[in-house]
Amino acid sequence: MKRFFLILLGAALTLGARAGNLPALWAERVKSVAAVDYFIETEAERHLATAYGVAIDRQGTIILPSAAVDPRTSPSQLKDFHVYLAGDPTGHPCTYLGQDSLTGWHFVRTDAATAALLVPVTQWAASGPSPVPALAEHVWGIGLRNKDEDFTPYLLSSQMALIQSLPQQTGIAQQEVAGPGLPVFNDDGVFLGLAESSFGQTFLQFSRSDRDGAPIMLIDLEESSAFLLASEVLPNLGRVPGNVFGRPLAWLGAYGLEAMDRDVANFLKLSDQSGAVVSEVLEGSPAEKMGMKSHDIIIAIDGKTLPRFRPDHVVTDYVEREIERRRPGDTMTFTVLRGADRIDLTAKLGDEPKLAREAERKYFDHLGLTIREFVYADAIARRVRTSEATGVVVSYVKANNPAAMSGLEEDDWIKEIDGVPVRSFAEAASRLGAIAADPARAEFVLLVSRGADTTVLRVKLR
Amino acid sequence: MKLVIVKHSTARSITGACAALALALGPAPGVRAATGSLGTGFRQVLDAVVRIDVREVAFDAGAQRFEASIGSGVILSEDGYILTNAHVVSPRAIEVNVTLANLERVDAKLMGWDHWTDLALLRLDMGEVKRRKLKFAHAKFGDSDRLYPGETVYAVGTPYGLTRTVTRGIISNTSRYFEDDKGVDGYETGAFNTWLQTDAAINPGNSGGPLVTEDGLVMGITSRGYLGANNLGFAIPAETAKRIVAGLQRDGGITRSYIGIVPRELQDLETFYALALDTGMLIDSVDPGSPAARAGLHGGDIVLAINGHAVDGRFPEQLPPIQNEIASQPVGAAMVLSIKSGTQERRVTVVTERLESSMGEEWALDHWGLTVRKVSRTFARLNQLADDDGVIVLGVQPGFPADVAGLQTGDIVTQIDGKPVTSLEMIKGAYQSYAEKPRPTLLEANRDRGVAFYLIKP
Repeated sequence: MKRFFLILLGAALTLGARAGNLPALWAERVKSVAAVDYFIETEAERHLATAYGVAIDRQGTIILPSAAVDPRTSPSQLKDFHVYLAGDPTGHPCTYLGQDSLTGWHFVRTDAATAALLVPVTQWAASGPSPVPALAEHVWGIGLRNKDEDFTPYLLSSQMALIQSLPQQTGIAQQEVAGPGLPVFNDDGVFLGLAESSFGQTFLQFSRSDRDGAPIMLIDLEESSAFLLASEVLPNLGRVPGNVFGRPLAWLGAYGLEAMDRDVANFLKLSDQSGAVVSEVLEGSPAEKMGMKSHDIIIAIDGKTLPRFRPDHVVTDYVEREIERRRPGDTMTFTVLRGADRIDLTAKLGDEPKLAREAERKYFDHLGLTIREFVYADAIARRVRTSEATGVVVSYVKANNPAAMSGLEEDDWIKEIDGVPVRSFAEAASRLGAIAADPARAEFVLLVSRGADTTVLRVKLR
Repeated sequence: MKLVIVKHSTARSITGACAALALALGPAPGVRAATGSLGTGFRQVLDAVVRIDVREVAFDAGAQRFEASIGSGVILSEDGYILTNAHVVSPRAIEVNVTLANLERVDAKLMGWDHWTDLALLRLDMGEVKRRKLKFAHAKFGDSDRLYPGETVYAVGTPYGLTRTVTRGIISNTSRYFEDDKGVDGYETGAFNTWLQTDAAINPGNSGGPLVTEDGLVMGITSRGYLGANNLGFAIPAETAKRIVAGLQRDGGITRSYIGIVPRELQDLETFYALALDTGMLIDSVDPGSPAARAGLHGGDIVLAINGHAVDGRFPEQLPPIQNEIASQPVGAAMVLSIKSGTQERRVTVVTERLESSMGEEWALDHWGLTVRKVSRTFARLNQLADDDGVIVLGVQPGFPADVAGLQTGDIVTQIDGKPVTSLEMIKGAYQSYAEKPRPTLLEANRDRGVAFYLIKP
């Protein structure tokens, strides 16, 4: 009994000592976090966006979570990046380096003077393998207030509730433990991971008046209880994009991967593993070249059986990440289930075809529209052969302007201008440019494709 | 504003009470007194108008359900043919009960159906009529082509179950264009006819009743009205109805030809296309894989002439007659279209196909809690599907095997146990063998282009 008491006393003393250290640990670690803001500049508007991140090296490189930038924007629309140290209202200019496809992180880099004020989060990494927090272990992290409060840092702390493979090792704490993109530590101040967008806690709001209506899901945007473990973060810090588009991007061309539930897996005799159904095999892709067929079920990659995940749908992320972590030119072997047969297929990964965010764009203010180059993904979305892929896509229509008044809509596919087929982006740009520049022009006519239909639109300029 | 059909659903109203009131008041001394200048022809048409109570099956909730509704109709002949709307009595009807002007009730049968013109032909159970020695009047068609805007017309029907209500108005427009690709219970309507527009009060339940002139001639069949508007009602013209009735009496349905062009009025675009005045019809779109697409036609082409005679599609109301001319060709006929594309003019031969609705046959797989509709060729074409295999999920019953397996409304079930669903019979067969001896059955379905598996478990 006496010994037991001593043990308890010892535990209390240890806890007390650590708690006593926290202010010191805090003071150093808060130098690793930063807020970043930037403008999204579109044809007619300019929005300010804010995100939080951590410094990862001495050069002032900062990583921001993937949700920091709206995926529908093009890098050319992102302007005026500034970084703010915790609690400091001074904005320091920084450069946007791009997004990494595997981690989804956006990378920015400050100037040397600002870099000197930041401490890389790697400073707080364990010297050996990254520690995995134990269930019920006390963890703490950093939150940042908004710009009007000078991005003042504040303390969040909680206890570990669960660790899940999603497919990345993800810790879920009992309460919010850090702002999304900001670090989580243990009581020794060792880096445990980076907070993700909140999903550990979801709230549903039911309407008092509309009782049969669907509830509204509420997500905490400022704080999160879920974080990616350090073992998933630290090995990827070197993935600084070489360009704003994050290229090179490995490409297989197996479109629409779908998971299966346990009942289906058991029925297909895939009890202790997962399978991912390939919905479509894209034209000209490495998947097509290696002989993959739509409805094939991927059951192993490079001889390694797809593990079972909880929930089942995580398997599609797993397969996609296996592709994304490789580079164009790498080979990959897929074992697929086709009917009753198991077939091995080997692909040499290609380079992802040009994406919509990389496409050329041109805005015509007088006409009130932006056209965008027709890219591979547009052909896929419209179910046409890439050989039929002429014309341009409407990426923006300005309200109450000539193009909008004619009935033109965003995502329309312009196939003809004034009855003449559009062969290339450059040709469309120069013809629309000539129309916009001609003060005598009263109207022009577009043939656009929308779903399975086409329609003729008359754009009145006067 | 939404143009809606004016069928009255009994599920949501006070109809019962109102109908009882009307019946209690009895037929008519009031009406007769009010006729004044209206002659015997008008009184006869009143006696030819019937109330139609319909029970029909619906497949939208994962199970067969029955719905009841009330519409109107007009007796056309002494052998008991009744004309009403396609949206009042459809092939889904399992019970059609007609109330004659003398308040006698008789069962009737659907003899023909044409959703394109929103017309359905019924026939009274004449055996019963003879046995019970029932009497009824019948109405005559007038010449709707001679109507003029401003002419007085009367709508007769059963609005909200108020049997044999007469409302008065004028012809507001003689050739209104209105087309709706889901206008008759999900079926297409309006592409081949224009409509009479009237300001006579039209309410839910008026559907299928006649629009008549003072001399009691039927000028149109009341069909729909704008919701929330003041008296914008629409009726199918008698000239269209006469033609359709003849076809329905003969064949039970109307066979039409299809070439796959979506026409559009030229209005304002004549100058751009350098056309002579009152010439040509614009092709707005060509259905992928259709005869017109195979003949090389595409959106932006102009049709100058059909089989050698010029067409004029300058205004919207001119389009249905042109569409009807194409539809009236025998299926498989070769049509010669004179086409202008840009500055080029050429003649193109298009061989017509049979026109099909995008709606397919529906069915309920009760034990699975699943209701489906066959993917039609037209549906596949409009939705850019590779083929017309599969059935569309109309509904799943919560807690039933299809729901537990994860199927959702809108999914397209393409395979059962590895075999493609090429027909509704095929899925009925699989369901039947499951019903006899339940065992896990694997379905493959498409959702937003994603292919996934679903296991139906006993």
